[in-house]
Amino acid sequence: MTVTVAEAWVEEPLRRFVDDARVVFALLVHPSGQVMGQHGFTRAVDVMSACALAAAINASAGALGRELEARPFQELYHAGLERQVFLAEAVTVRGACVLITAFGRETSLGLVRLYFQEFRQALAAAAPQAEKAGPVLAADFERELDRSMAVLFGRARPRDLTPV
Amino acid sequence: MSDQIRHLSDELARDPSSLVFLQLGETLRTSGQLDVALRVSLRGLERHAYSAEAHDLLARICADRGELQRALDEWDMVLRLDPGHYGARKGMGFVLYKQGRFSESEQYLREAAASGEGDASISHALASVERMLRPEVQQPQPESAAPSRNDARRLFADILADGDQTALLIDSSGLVLAGAYISAEGHEVAEEIGAALSGVREEAERAMRHLPLGAWTSISFEAEAATVAMAPVANGALVMVAADPAMPQGFVRRVLESCAARSRSWLTGAA
Amino acid sequence: MVGCVVADAHDGIVVEAVVRQGVNSNTVAALAASLYGGAVQSARAAGMGEVGFLRLEAERGHVFAIGWGDLVLVVIADVSVNVGQLRVDMLKSRESLA
Repeated sequence: MTVTVAEAWVEEPLRRFVDDARVVFALLVHPSGQVMGQHGFTRAVDVMSACALAAAINASAGALGRELEARPFQELYHAGLERQVFLAEAVTVRGACVLITAFGRETSLGLVRLYFQEFRQALAAAAPQAEKAGPVLAADFERELDRSMAVLFGRARPRDLTPV
Repeated sequence: MSDQIRHLSDELARDPSSLVFLQLGETLRTSGQLDVALRVSLRGLERHAYSAEAHDLLARICADRGELQRALDEWDMVLRLDPGHYGARKGMGFVLYKQGRFSESEQYLREAAASGEGDASISHALASVERMLRPEVQQPQPESAAPSRNDARRLFADILADGDQTALLIDSSGLVLAGAYISAEGHEVAEEIGAALSGVREEAERAMRHLPLGAWTSISFEAEAATVAMAPVANGALVMVAADPAMPQGFVRRVLESCAARSRSWLTGAA
Repeated sequence: MVGCVVADAHDGIVVEAVVRQGVNSNTVAALAASLYGGAVQSARAAGMGEVGFLRLEAERGHVFAIGWGDLVLVVIADVSVNVGQLRVDMLKSRESLA
């Protein structure tokens, strides 16, 4: 199976999750919408759309959860006719990231949730120490997004973020 | 409708009191028309209530329909009418075996065998009952007697009692290494069955990675058409036994253990 | 007995669970439903019809499962369990729940 990543440290946990949970699509996204890794997509434009949607869903679900339960929802699940979608947040020392994944009848929600727990732990363990956060400017964000897309679709190498 | 059935039906219509219903009922039974056979048999019994052959026919039809207790009752009636009836003894032995009443089954089968009319199926059935009653008398096959690769299809032939059981040795990729699986229609379907069932192994291995139970040693499940049992043997290979659902669970397990031991020995020899 | 879980057969989600401390019922439900579903699919593919009672024997215990409708009843037991009695009890439970 093909897993491509923009940040090298997410590769092994994401590959393991995709392999174990037998999902069709998986996308790991920064809450800002910046892609960190993906499985199942073949076109950059689809990844960009999915990232934007995932970030938006996560933000609105978080807001709704805080409104209703005084805290963000931990997981979101939507059952379609053929495919089901699961979205949840994983927190690492580098901050939160969102996994959105689609799966069919080869697996089940129970298994996806089970392997997401493992993924969350593996991701937290793999995450290098956070770099000093700088201001997120619109220009930086766009440059980062372009670079992520280039990496995911083979036009650049993933960033190897070893702790400094 | 076959010519023979039409001919016999016409003959019975001409003379409803004749015994031709026995032949007609049996022909219908063997051609699988069990409901019609049952009606013919019951009508015949109305006129020939004390005919051992008429009750024997009804018993055979009931056995084919899976109505084992009713078959047993009918054969019991046959033996009251004709204490030396070979077919009834054989039938009783068969039904009692299916019901797990092995001692009684053995008694009827031995009486049938002693009558001198015994056929190969009687000795086969007796061997099966023996295995259930006295497993310790079975001698393990010496290593040298294990079949070679050329005998792969017949690897489990001497372990499996009769047509009610079958066994396959499947490699880690779901391909059949040894054994045979003949469908009800008489076709060899080992590859299809092997591929379909080996998927269960993946699920078992996955479950064992997360549950604190150690490695899996066997899986069995009861399907409508068969009881299936499987066990890992060596090098990722899997041995699978499918048996008639009426076969006692413990016996299927015993057959699986024997097939697993044979597979290990064979794989070691073939390596 | 280590635990007993009723799970949705398709989603592998817990419907009801009584498990010993330290046993994760979500994990049991997801994996056992998947195992049972695998057996169901395999039996259908092999032309063997519907599956009733399933038993997995492992080095340190057993997993038993039996399905009805969209649900599957799962029991995790240690090696000393009376398998025959448990099988009968699970078959009876299925009848009473169906």
